[in-house]
Amino acid sequence: MSYSNKRLSLVAAACALASTHVSAEDSSLTNPNISAVLDGFYQTGDRGLGGRSEGFGLGETELAISANIDDMFYGKVTAILEVHDGETEIGLEEAFIQTMDLPAGLGIRAGRFLSDVGYLNNQHLHTDSFIDRPGAYRAFMGNHYFDDGVRLTYVAPTDLYWTMGVEVFKGDKMRAADMYEEHEEHEDHEHEEEHEEHGPRDYDTVGVYSAFTKFGGDIGISSSWQVGLSYLHNANGKVMVEEGEHEDEVHVDEEHDHEGHTHSASYTGENTYIADFVYKWAPDGNYKYQHLTISGEYFRVTDTFAFEEGDHDHEEEHEHEESHGDDFFEGWYLSGVYQFSPHWSAGVRYGEVDTFELHGDHLDAQKLKETELSLAWHSSHFSTVRLQYTNQKGTNFDGFEDDNIVSLQYVMTLGAHGAHQF
Amino acid sequence: MRINSKKLIMMGALCSAFITSAANAQLNVFACEPEYAALAQEIAPEAKIYSATSALQDPHLVQARPSLIAKMRQADLVVCAGADLEIGWLPMLQMKASNNKVRSTDKGLFYAAEHIETLDQLEQVDRSMGDVHAKGNPHLHFDPRKLLKVASALSEKMTALDPEGAAGYQAQLADFSERWQQAIPKWEEQAAGLKGKKVIAYHSSFRYLFNWLSIEQVADLEPKPGIPPSSSHLAKLVSRSQEGDVMAILVTSYQDERGANWLGERTELPVLVLPMSVGGNSDSKDLFSLYDSVLTLLTNVE
Repeated sequence: MSYSNKRLSLVAAACALASTHVSAEDSSLTNPNISAVLDGFYQTGDRGLGGRSEGFGLGETELAISANIDDMFYGKVTAILEVHDGETEIGLEEAFIQTMDLPAGLGIRAGRFLSDVGYLNNQHLHTDSFIDRPGAYRAFMGNHYFDDGVRLTYVAPTDLYWTMGVEVFKGDKMRAADMYEEHEEHEDHEHEEEHEEHGPRDYDTVGVYSAFTKFGGDIGISSSWQVGLSYLHNANGKVMVEEGEHEDEVHVDEEHDHEGHTHSASYTGENTYIADFVYKWAPDGNYKYQHLTISGEYFRVTDTFAFEEGDHDHEEEHEHEESHGDDFFEGWYLSGVYQFSPHWSAGVRYGEVDTFELHGDHLDAQKLKETELSLAWHSSHFSTVRLQYTNQKGTNFDGFEDDNIVSLQYVMTLGAHGAHQF
Repeated sequence: MRINSKKLIMMGALCSAFITSAANAQLNVFACEPEYAALAQEIAPEAKIYSATSALQDPHLVQARPSLIAKMRQADLVVCAGADLEIGWLPMLQMKASNNKVRSTDKGLFYAAEHIETLDQLEQVDRSMGDVHAKGNPHLHFDPRKLLKVASALSEKMTALDPEGAAGYQAQLADFSERWQQAIPKWEEQAAGLKGKKVIAYHSSFRYLFNWLSIEQVADLEPKPGIPPSSSHLAKLVSRSQEGDVMAILVTSYQDERGANWLGERTELPVLVLPMSVGGNSDSKDLFSLYDSVLTLLTNVE
């Protein structure tokens, strides 16, 4: 060890003496990478779970600035402009710093950033091969989960790729609907005292903890793969339902409002487990002309509802506990995309989401099945025009029953655009 | 017996741990392209060298895949062409690999293009020009004199990273330089007949080769850099090809041959697939045989 230390210090000395003619053209504070993403579409129907809506519209218009801050840190800011119901919203999707100089394969990211759970979540929307994220992402991750927090990652020094990470987030977007506040808005005054007694729900200010690991490698020269396992603990994820209080129909409207727009996860639970895989193939490993990507993810969200005892007795109390004790949400998708020439690619994706909706004091099962076919034309790496056909079949799913939807979309990037992830 | 065998296993584990750490004393080199793996091999034959791409893979378009992250995580030195050739994947690998040794050119990162004068540097770059880079053409390994400068700079970099191996690197560089300098006039003599010849080629992949041998690329199969041949563009090239002065249509080992073949059939011009790097054909086993193979293929046209 002392030997290698000595060597390191010698290297350090040599480096200190060496002229630092790092080319000025590389991204630095004087010349940061600035990029924008333009995304527009026309669609013949509304998609469930906060997907794109009917008519003309804009997706996320993204403006990003990134650069090495100094020897130690890299920073990135991504602002998002979205238009919903005539209102232009400005959002901050990323505003993080990332360490660049930690030893032993460690890295820390802090600020607002995309969580690294699952496969798609840490990828930007404009790199997707379909017009919307899979239903499972729209249901459980609020489309894609980014939040304020900190992440620690470790990459093992092995030939088999192996990385591990833990994240802690504020978790506001992942909060379960607050039933009590809901009631204050449209319940009778006779309940008010009761509400004050309980008060608004006392949310944890640090709400989300996650841990993930990913493995990957090559199979021969043509194929590569990666698998991942993630766990996300959401301290505020369980919907608290007070038994006996809701004789009339109660929906968790604020969070389940599919007519409007929400950045929050529609269906939350205390524990989320994600398994993901991706497999890519290109002839001789040459991605220029043809390549195939097959990916899939499975989500399981548990501890979704808690039925608390009300102030007055309820006959069916125990019955409910039995029937709701093991309720969990589930979602998955499987996707295959083939680029058959540098200008054309086609994809097919199928996914399901199984959830429950709260109606009064009982839960109704819901299901959404989505089948999607997409065909994209790429003028260059920076511009895509996509035609997509979607069939969504809903069972007890916000009125979605069996819709055939056609979408036409463009996604284009301008400016210096960063490298893409696997 | 049991205790003994346990002890043996423990000793074995210790030994292998020791051997591993001894092996770590050799440089672990991650090369972005096979030509730089070959160059590193010439200067540090003892080093553990891995090439991220093969000569059949377009280095502009590489996936920042898990195996590459794992290899970069362990590297002491990353050797790449530079001039933004790897801009679409190298920064992602560096970010994901969390290896602070190979993060900047002050340390274990080496860009060949920074040690020579690149051709075709641009003042102004616009995406409408296609996939071009202000820093000039990065496919510099087909200029033997520039490559020799790169070899010398690489030897210095290895010495800085591994001062104990300095003598070895310098001796290997001297040996390589001598053999390379002997080969250059031989190659130039062999290629004398190619001087002033006109070719149609795919991309500016052989810009340095043509510059060295005074071959003129009169047309590009790509309508714009990085944009694959379109039928309308190829149709335009037919008339150019039929002027009678074009020697051949050239593509590299990782480029699609269909456009070239289509043009070749219509114009009865020979289509040559030249190895872009070491491993691009069965003859190209190192940098010397790569040059030999390219020149043999070109001179055989006549």
